[in-house]
Amino acid sequence: MNQKDSPYVSKTTVHFEEVTVAARGVPILERVNASVPRGSWTNIVGPNGAGKTTLILALLGMFPYSGKIRFGNGGGRPRIGYVPQRFAFDRGMPLTVMEFMLMGRQRLPFWFGCRGGRGRARELLAAVQADKLEPRLLGALSGGEIQRVLLALALQEEPDLLVLDEPTAGVDFQGEQIFCELLDGLRRDRGFTQLMVSHDLATVTHHATHVICLNRRVVAEGPPRKVLTGETLTATFGLHMGLVNARAMPDGDTYCSASCCREVRRD
Amino acid sequence: MIDLTVLYDLVPLLIPCDCLEARFMQQALIGLVLLAPMAAAMGVQVVNFRMAFFADAISHSAFTGVAIGMLTSLNPRLTMPAFGLLIGLGIIAVQRRSALSSDTVIGVFFSALIAFGLAVVSRDASLARDMQRFLYGDILTIGDGEIRWLLLLFVAIMIFQAWGFNRMLYIGISPILAKAHRLRVAAYQYTYAALLSLVVIFSVWAVGVLLVTALLIVPAATARNLTRTAGGMFWWALLVSVTSAVAGLLVSAQPWARTATGATVILFSFCWFVVSLIANIFSKDHFS
Repeated sequence: MNQKDSPYVSKTTVHFEEVTVAARGVPILERVNASVPRGSWTNIVGPNGAGKTTLILALLGMFPYSGKIRFGNGGGRPRIGYVPQRFAFDRGMPLTVMEFMLMGRQRLPFWFGCRGGRGRARELLAAVQADKLEPRLLGALSGGEIQRVLLALALQEEPDLLVLDEPTAGVDFQGEQIFCELLDGLRRDRGFTQLMVSHDLATVTHHATHVICLNRRVVAEGPPRKVLTGETLTATFGLHMGLVNARAMPDGDTYCSASCCREVRRD
Repeated sequence: MIDLTVLYDLVPLLIPCDCLEARFMQQALIGLVLLAPMAAAMGVQVVNFRMAFFADAISHSAFTGVAIGMLTSLNPRLTMPAFGLLIGLGIIAVQRRSALSSDTVIGVFFSALIAFGLAVVSRDASLARDMQRFLYGDILTIGDGEIRWLLLLFVAIMIFQAWGFNRMLYIGISPILAKAHRLRVAAYQYTYAALLSLVVIFSVWAVGVLLVTALLIVPAATARNLTRTAGGMFWWALLVSVTSAVAGLLVSAQPWARTATGATVILFSFCWFVVSLIANIFSKDHFS
């Protein structure tokens, strides 16, 4: 059966088939089989060194791999928006947020100012609650503000698939909550599929609709309620993770301890 | 073939100065006025992407390029830019494929180039005598042939910068992000490295191996202090570079100065840098 005919692949945005990555003979990923359902918030969880970022870089075509990465929607590569893990750049560089937003869009060099696509960039900055940042220097933004601007930059690609690699690393708890709420709303409004790496299991249990537990190979995959069991987490992280499990999903329920979940449950 | 006489004749009309009556001075001025904006434009990216060491390695390849020309009985004026180009592209290719850091890769090339150049020089006493020319530069000996090449390079670089300035910013900030968002990162990187290598080799002619990096980075560093936008940085770098080049040539030709042209140009650039530092300190709030 070819990819176009496969009912399984057509329901997914990405399908990893026997994906194996090795560096200098050392395996990083071993025969990874996993899927990212269309329209889902898929989270990759796993310990440090599990190969989460490598899997994402392989998906983005920046890491050689064996096996196959197949795409739904007729097999064509989807439009991808990417928010990187650590955005290290020269903070002294004279570059405004608007120039940053337009550097991949405007062909006319910035010597003549920001001209093409300002309206669209403003709209996207507003969508990520960063509209007031437009005239500011990129290097003067806080970690949370930079992540929101990076998200706006990724959304500018009008992605079918939004890939985020630990986007809230280094951001405080409140900033992380705001970022995740924002992402959830954008995903529902714009209908993209989201593939995200995150260490924070509370975020995963609260927002994700699909989870891939990775430790060089896929330990488990599926809806958080079914996958994030004590057994799976212990197998993935090598530690007893009962605390997270009990706090986030008591009695096997699907809600977590966040206030928004409690409100949903009352309804 | 382009007739450059009209261009030379314009020089004393635009800058009425006794020292610009001589043809070699007119040629030197045209050479510098072509080279300075190229170095400034490419220097913006050199500074933003911390490529000063790359430029340094290319400049040191100039002497080795000449040595290869002498060894192979080829015209050194051809082997010098050709070898610089080869080294520039080679460094980028190794950087893209190697797990080593950029500094280490460039350091390896850098030391190999110097070692090779010294080995050849030590065999040939006549070449050793030419060393001073490479160390300090000699813009006053530039001829029609070189100016024509500079004109071609000027057009190529300005087209590349007009086409790719914004995209180069993207790649410089994050090549992974740029590639994920469908930019042809490798094509831009190789083209930039090739053009930068050629600018560096021509700059060796003007200011010498010792000061090539300064010609690239001082105007751009000055511009960084004076603006808060990427577009503004380009214009400031251009202004600093061209005014320093013209002032440096004119002052170095004065009987009371009699200094090396390249060094004088860089000193004027440095004066601009000091002014920009002071301006930056006084407008600290404005730039934050």
